[in-house]
Amino acid sequence: MAAMMSSKLLILGNVAKNPLTLKWAAASLSTSSVRHTEPEIKNDIALLNPEEIEHKKKLQNYITIEGTTDISPITGVPEEHVKERRVRIYEPPKNCMQSGTNNIGHWEMDFDNRERWENPLMGWTSTGDPLSNMKVRFTSKEDAIEFCEKNGWKWYVQESKLEKKFKPKSYGINFAWNKRTRTSTK
Amino acid sequence: MFRLTITKALNGAKVSPKPIFIAARLQSGEVKKPEKIEVFIDDQPVLVEPGTTVLQAAALIGVEIPRFCYHERLAVAGNCRMCLVEVEKSPKPVAACAMPVMKGWRIKTNSEMTKKAREGIMEFLLVNHPLDCPICDQGGECDLQDQSMAFGSDRSRFTDIDFSGKRAVEDKDIGPLVKTIMTRCIHCTRCIRFASEIAGVDDLGTTGRGNDMQVGTYVEKLFMSELSGNVIDLCPVGALTSKPYSFTARPWEIRKIDSIDVLDAVGSNIIVSTRTGEVMRIVPRVNEEINEEWLADKSRFSYDGLKRQRLVTPMIRDNTGELKPVDWEIALLTVAKVIKNAGSNIGAIAGGFADAEALIALKDLLNRLGSEALCTEHTFPLDGSGTDLRSNYLLNNKIANAEEADLVLLVGTNPRFEAPLLNSRLRKAWVHNELEVASIGPKVDLRYSYEHLGDNPNLLQQIAGGQHAFSKKLKAAKKPLVIVGAESLERPDGAAILSAAQSIAAQASSSKDWKVLNVLHKVASQVAALDIGYAPGVDKIREINPKVLFLLGADENAVEKSDLPKDCFVIYQGHHGDRGAAMADAVLPGAAYTEKQATYVNTEGRAQETLPAVTPPGRAREDWKIIRALSEILGAKLPYDNLNDIRDRLDEVAPHLTRYGSAEDANFFRQAQELAKKAKVQLDSTPLDVKIKELQDYFMTDSISRASPTMAKCVQAALKHRQSKYSD
Repeated sequence: MAAMMSSKLLILGNVAKNPLTLKWAAASLSTSSVRHTEPEIKNDIALLNPEEIEHKKKLQNYITIEGTTDISPITGVPEEHVKERRVRIYEPPKNCMQSGTNNIGHWEMDFDNRERWENPLMGWTSTGDPLSNMKVRFTSKEDAIEFCEKNGWKWYVQESKLEKKFKPKSYGINFAWNKRTRTSTK
Repeated sequence: MFRLTITKALNGAKVSPKPIFIAARLQSGEVKKPEKIEVFIDDQPVLVEPGTTVLQAAALIGVEIPRFCYHERLAVAGNCRMCLVEVEKSPKPVAACAMPVMKGWRIKTNSEMTKKAREGIMEFLLVNHPLDCPICDQGGECDLQDQSMAFGSDRSRFTDIDFSGKRAVEDKDIGPLVKTIMTRCIHCTRCIRFASEIAGVDDLGTTGRGNDMQVGTYVEKLFMSELSGNVIDLCPVGALTSKPYSFTARPWEIRKIDSIDVLDAVGSNIIVSTRTGEVMRIVPRVNEEINEEWLADKSRFSYDGLKRQRLVTPMIRDNTGELKPVDWEIALLTVAKVIKNAGSNIGAIAGGFADAEALIALKDLLNRLGSEALCTEHTFPLDGSGTDLRSNYLLNNKIANAEEADLVLLVGTNPRFEAPLLNSRLRKAWVHNELEVASIGPKVDLRYSYEHLGDNPNLLQQIAGGQHAFSKKLKAAKKPLVIVGAESLERPDGAAILSAAQSIAAQASSSKDWKVLNVLHKVASQVAALDIGYAPGVDKIREINPKVLFLLGADENAVEKSDLPKDCFVIYQGHHGDRGAAMADAVLPGAAYTEKQATYVNTEGRAQETLPAVTPPGRAREDWKIIRALSEILGAKLPYDNLNDIRDRLDEVAPHLTRYGSAEDANFFRQAQELAKKAKVQLDSTPLDVKIKELQDYFMTDSISRASPTMAKCVQAALKHRQSKYSD
């Protein structure tokens, strides 16, 4: 068996080297199974009455169910972390300490904050909350809401006003002679 | 049929009279909007208003140009040169922050020339910047660090260090809040611009030129501002850092929790940074409607008060008159027994930090016991429509709109210290919008010029009657505001002051959605308490001679032991061992604002919620849960078991309390004014006064800030500055 396998591989190797023979080799290596049995006669269709056929046809199509999907029974998340958690969906604002804006402009979700304590051995912080580090990013708030609905979490949206009214900046007003924008200090 | 082509119809206007009409209206009426101009940023077209700078135009389509000195809330300085970009056909790179765009410009923010310019600037900045990032507090949230990684060169040509060394600058002492390490300064002048434009304190400046330039106060003096902490955020490097926070934590090891500040009635949005169950620092969070991105010093630095003087266990006063720690069971049973014996003869006073959940739970409990004596510590006149109409006690026109005002009348208030962020808005309008301010009350320093009309309350009547010169100005103003301080309404003639302010507001002509009458509160809980139905002021308590008095964080000594009958049992529930706990017979430890998910309503009537950042210390618990537990022992069980339930109850009482983030408009100004006329109180001639006049009065005003060592240092520094020869 092993010898046969290796010889076959050898042949294959030769075929691969010679592109002209490739077509022929591919055809000879057909993997389609040989038909052993007679074609099945679908007796049940012949025997069914028209109503039953109609019913069967209906079952073959997709069924639309109203409402949202809830995958929480099969995600494996313990029930206490599904029913007792509140998810906050929010738009993170720009960090006031820095001027970069690449890490904003999306929506995030996080869970209610639970107790932490200092580990007596190392002084590190411990928590019993497996979801405390779960921060998920979304492009829109609708996506986040859908995700929470799907996972069975109670959610709420924290809207915050981040847009500023656009006003053209001007270097010249620093030197205006009759306005309070004139700067005295430099 | 339609015989004209669309373009012809739009341009020609031969047939239809409509376009002509529009054209005519444009000429006579509103100012015609200037045409937008098209520029190309990295070959992406963008339409912008004329006068827009290159940097702003790029920001419109999400292209970020690196910067150090430019800040969108400060004036343009254009001195760091980090924002240099290439403009096609221009021989030199252009400073994007200061250069207005021209029609058809093709700006390249990522070209070879731009990159080279940035790298060059970065190299210059780093020539004199110390390499002490590992011990720098800014490390991890430093613009210079980030931008040197992104745009800097990967190797140094700075060999001169072996011969001459780096430039070193002496550190300045500008007070107990801001630590300066001036060697790290890159001379962006953001702090200088903040001080002179936003804070209105022209103390910071530069001395020397070139390599010898230094940022500082020239003489050693305190940075005398209630907004000084903001320069820490503004500083793009680690030259200005927080003194109380120095060397305590790094930005990557802290956990950030979005919350709300409760130390004044503005309700600034904050981020509470925590590590190992401890609040490490508080920084502002952007909210354009409230605090923009600033935060007042008391809100930012009094967090160390949350770790001191805390009530960590229930306590009962024993026979010797000492408060002895007990466990919750004994405390609640004792308190319940006393309350049961008192029957309906029980009163409650809510203090300045009480949240809406605790307020509603306490009110429901007392109502179930048959008492209606629920008061707030701070008084508000009840004559006329009193607190029945919300418009009477709200900052109706909202904080952000103060920017657009053209005339402001302050009545008995010092917004600089009662609501520093409202004052910064007023100052912004004063700088950019030629705002005129007049004040009736004590002469205080608001950091902008204003007309001091006097401190006699009768001036209000004169203005309302039109006899005063100011009435003319008021009538001419398009967007006037009357801001009444809550403190002036606590006077015996508060009703008359409010009524006079109402009639002044009614006279001022303004558009429909501009609300002239505004009341500025001083504490965070007041609006929620009034919304829920607490009676303002403690007169009720004095009248009923209660057997039991429940203080919900009431620390201002509105009612003292001498006002109460001898056998009155005082229960204090709160988070700090302050004045309230001192007079209590039983103490129930509650949670501070960083430790609970709670609703607060700010002076505009905007409901916002805090989120728990740390757990309450010791045996302290969330406030509404304590009241809920007590109710069960009393046999008057409150029908809510979790936060959602109690929020539903809040929603039942006043739906706006759970509409977080939005401020519902209040109305019925005319009706309120009519009803106020029925009030019999007359204005008396005692001059209007405010408690907080100067900076040293500002720092310690409530139980949290009184427990804060940082705030104590600030008071010391402010007092010391008054003695110094450089104080103004």
